Amino acid sequence: MRFKTFAAFVAPSFVLMMLFIAAPLASVFWQSFHVTQPVFNEVEVETCTPGFGTTNCSIEKKVQLVLDDNGDPVTKTEFVGLQSYRNVLELDRLGEAIGNASWAQVMTIDFWKALRFTLMFTLVTLPLVLGVGLAIALAVNNSLSTIRGPVIFISLLPFVITPVIGALAIRWLFIGNGILTVGIETMLGRDISMFAQGWTIELMMYFYRVWHVAPFAFVVFYAGLQTVNQDALESAVIDGASRWQRLRFVIIPHLMPLILFLSLIHLMDAYRVFEEIVGFSSQAYVISLQWLTYEFLIPSESGTRAISRASASAMLTMIGIVILLVVPLRRFWRDRHARH
Amino acid sequence: MIKKLLLAGAISVAATGFAYACENKVEIKSLSNAFPVYTVMTEAMAKCGNFQAEMDKDHRLKQEAALSSKPSLYQLTSVTNQTGGALAGAGLLRPLDDLIAKHGKDLAPSQLIKIDGKTIAVAAIVNTQHIMYREDVFKDLGLSAPKSWDDVLSAAKAIKDSGKVDYAFGGYYKTGWNLGFEFINQYLGDGGALFDDKNHASINNEKGVAVLERMKALSGYMDPEYLVSDTAYMSKQFQAGTIAMGINWASRAGSVNDPNESQVAGKIKMAAAPMGSARPSATLWWDGWAIAKNTSDEQAEAAFKLIIKALSSEVVTANNDVAIWTSPAFKPTEAASGAIATAQGGAANFPASKFLGALHTELGGGIADYMTGAKDAAKTLADIEAAYLTAAKENGLIK
Amino acid sequence: MAAVQRQPAMLRALSSGFLTFWCIIAFFPIFWITVMSVKNPLDALAKSPVQVFFGPRTLAQGDGLSIIDIVLGLITIGLLIYIGRVRLAGWVKQYGLPNAPRISWVLAVILFCIATITVLFGILPLLSSILNSIGGPLGTNIVGLTTEHYEAVWFERGFTRNFTNSLIVTAGVVTVSLTIGTLAGYALARSGGEIAFWLLVAALIFRALPHSVLVAGYLPVFIKSADILRPILGEAAPTLYGQPWAVIIVLVAINQPFTIWLLRSFFQNIPEELDEAAKVDGCTHFQAFRLVIIPVMWPGVITAGLFSFLLAYNDFLVTSLLLDGQNMTMVPAIANMFNRETNASDEVQAIAAAVSITAPLFLLVVLFQRQLVSGLTAGAVKG
Repeated sequence: MRFKTFAAFVAPSFVLMMLFIAAPLASVFWQSFHVTQPVFNEVEVETCTPGFGTTNCSIEKKVQLVLDDNGDPVTKTEFVGLQSYRNVLELDRLGEAIGNASWAQVMTIDFWKALRFTLMFTLVTLPLVLGVGLAIALAVNNSLSTIRGPVIFISLLPFVITPVIGALAIRWLFIGNGILTVGIETMLGRDISMFAQGWTIELMMYFYRVWHVAPFAFVVFYAGLQTVNQDALESAVIDGASRWQRLRFVIIPHLMPLILFLSLIHLMDAYRVFEEIVGFSSQAYVISLQWLTYEFLIPSESGTRAISRASASAMLTMIGIVILLVVPLRRFWRDRHARH
Repeated sequence: MIKKLLLAGAISVAATGFAYACENKVEIKSLSNAFPVYTVMTEAMAKCGNFQAEMDKDHRLKQEAALSSKPSLYQLTSVTNQTGGALAGAGLLRPLDDLIAKHGKDLAPSQLIKIDGKTIAVAAIVNTQHIMYREDVFKDLGLSAPKSWDDVLSAAKAIKDSGKVDYAFGGYYKTGWNLGFEFINQYLGDGGALFDDKNHASINNEKGVAVLERMKALSGYMDPEYLVSDTAYMSKQFQAGTIAMGINWASRAGSVNDPNESQVAGKIKMAAAPMGSARPSATLWWDGWAIAKNTSDEQAEAAFKLIIKALSSEVVTANNDVAIWTSPAFKPTEAASGAIATAQGGAANFPASKFLGALHTELGGGIADYMTGAKDAAKTLADIEAAYLTAAKENGLIK
Repeated sequence: MAAVQRQPAMLRALSSGFLTFWCIIAFFPIFWITVMSVKNPLDALAKSPVQVFFGPRTLAQGDGLSIIDIVLGLITIGLLIYIGRVRLAGWVKQYGLPNAPRISWVLAVILFCIATITVLFGILPLLSSILNSIGGPLGTNIVGLTTEHYEAVWFERGFTRNFTNSLIVTAGVVTVSLTIGTLAGYALARSGGEIAFWLLVAALIFRALPHSVLVAGYLPVFIKSADILRPILGEAAPTLYGQPWAVIIVLVAINQPFTIWLLRSFFQNIPEELDEAAKVDGCTHFQAFRLVIIPVMWPGVITAGLFSFLLAYNDFLVTSLLLDGQNMTMVPAIANMFNRETNASDEVQAIAAAVSITAPLFLLVVLFQRQLVSGLTAGAVKG
């Protein structure tokens, strides 16, 4: 294919990705090294407000935005180097906490708290998703062919459901006197509040994610199982291999590329966990890296957004993604050079 | 178009049973808070036609962005003493004096919010916090309405020991705005100063620690999921009869005794907010309407007429107990008694400013670490002070 | 595996037991919110699951289902699912227009959706009321059921408008995304050059980006776009914030990385000899694409379309931040319902809205199960 043709085919898609993905990314990168501030000055203002049946007027010194001729606030932007990164990482507090050898203190610093949860969420759900997916695939493969279709049908429902709605559906089962909380209470014979401590909320988040993603792993594994080499299986039977050994030495090696593929996709998606925080309103106990960025972005009570810190935290999140992707990218790179 | 208007008119007549003396011909959108009194007011506005209301508890998060768009995405917006000053300071609110001269003759001077002589908003209600308690439970246990925080704690203990309700106490302790607000109220009630003369936060002191410890003690009597409990959640707890006492907003007094929603309607009484060591642990607020600066004169005039409609005496009289209206038509009843007692006890105005806004945000997030037991009180307050300084420097508030 | 060796009963029992358990877990949350959505608020939020399920208060209002209704309902829904999943494809082959299989499919899907709505909301209630009146004890209500929340959501709360917005955004995203994605995917599959490689790598990294990072970049620009674009476009410069078409473009861009990877792997399965043959006959690359590739690419395109649909339909972050209340799609509209004053009936209405959002997805799986499965596996098997 000539370059001109190639360019013509790819151009629309390329332009959109540059404009709406690469450009915002570049601006975020730039902002993480700069701070844009409105200019304030101190003025005396007389304010009159209603009391209970009376009017209170008072003259106060107030800090006010300086406005330009159009009535827009005047802002100034300056280069601050790594200051925003330092503000996000809070290394001095981290050092102090490590000096005290106190894990609990480290966990009170937002960034490290978010990093802990994000990594843990990614790494705990990964084996669960793979394991549950494989188990369902094996069970379905083992069942009568007439029920396979309906089982796949039901399994796809948690996968296609809107994430926010799915998280809310699970939340409704547990919150306050939700049916499952009541069920567990009857079983254990004591009062339980699933939303009153961090670890139960975290468990529910893991549960939701596995529920949501395991069907994907299942479908992929199920397709993979159809292509297992029957001769290899039969010779394993003749060699006297047990079921477990056949699974371990024939089936799993055959599925290995799929396991890698699923791990990659899952790492990418779980690393940017966000909807769970919204759906379970867990921010008092558990936050994730993407949530941290989002929290910097929404305006504070003084009406300002911490754009610089948001950008810095976004760039730090990016670094994590790049590290996650290094291994699969190198493999992709090698494959390509092997082919040429 | 005319057909549509006639239709809208016909519907409004059908809906209310009598013709409202208003007809709005200009497309108006509003962005407002969502508690009951705003439902009442936006419904009144909607009856004039061509009006769409967006109601959102977190409306203040989008307010500034939406109003600074040209033209503004909403013509009308709800403001409070916290948001009003900030929006006016950013040049986003239209001075209303010309419109008041033209259409607002019925407004009382006490309804006008003035900054530097210019009216920037019309107050609809005043608001504060008070104690709500279950009269029947208190009577059974021989308790009287609590006056101080010690009374609250001892009453909570008595109620808990009696096992009459699921949880003795309720409060708005939801992480974020609510949790920070409760701290500010109690800290000011104890006579604490939030800032030093360089506008640095100064809350890490005996008073701050005492307030945190008291909040922790109270949380022992609350539903363990208190960190997701906002004022609507607490009102529902009252309605379902699961709590017997709580500090709540005055504007909720109507709904907890609403027989259509409440299982314990009529049993809930109001009393003044608990007395701190200096003044009541509550602050005075106003809530009202403002018009966006980036709005055409035609729209502004139409929007202003809607405000007048929403504050008219017929709306106020029909919904007297929903809130403490600023309108002269308001008649204080039992529902308002707690709030009025709070105000008479000497509660301070909420000292809204850019600095307090920044501190409020950090308090709302930071106190959760103390409540969950991750940090001790002094460390929590020191970290909040440090986080405030970082944010204030990034925003340019402190050099 | 079953063919290789007979299995001990233990293993069989274990395996089918596990499968049953999974199916219950997969289905239960969706089932339960559906049950809650049709009860009086006091029942729906009650402590006892028995009360939630049977809905005594709802029953006391006079709204409910009899045994006849339940049997009739289950049969009808079962039949509809069976037809959609199993029979519909055969009927399209048999009765569809022989020369236009794709158009027949579209028609069949539309007809099926209309038939489902007519049967569930028209014929079924009519039939059940007739049967109940002659059914004696079988015709008395035993389980509470009310549609009041659905009526409130759809007719009073203006959810119809949100539904239309969802339709517009989703249709827009699917169309645009497929059009440009197909072109790019094809070119990437046919080119082994360095640029193609780097494009794919970039797309992979873009695929992994947290969306909040991107939205952070859009929000201020979109709100001020009229000011920014005025020098170029003059007075016609639009405010992008709140415009459905601006959201469509953003979602298309976010969805591109996945779409081009998926379509690339589909196009790699189409033998390159086909376009070579066409070019030998004197076609340009575009003509070869149009004449040779387009006729055989539909299975891949339908699959990619399904995933674009899911992305656009399910999106929360982008639509909630970039659309204002009047143009809101269904998913952020629900979040707004929670952010309004929540008394008990508001909450059940939000649940009803959540179920309403899920219903089209349910239909989607009924009709397109095979394409969804092939899309999920396509990327994996190619590696």
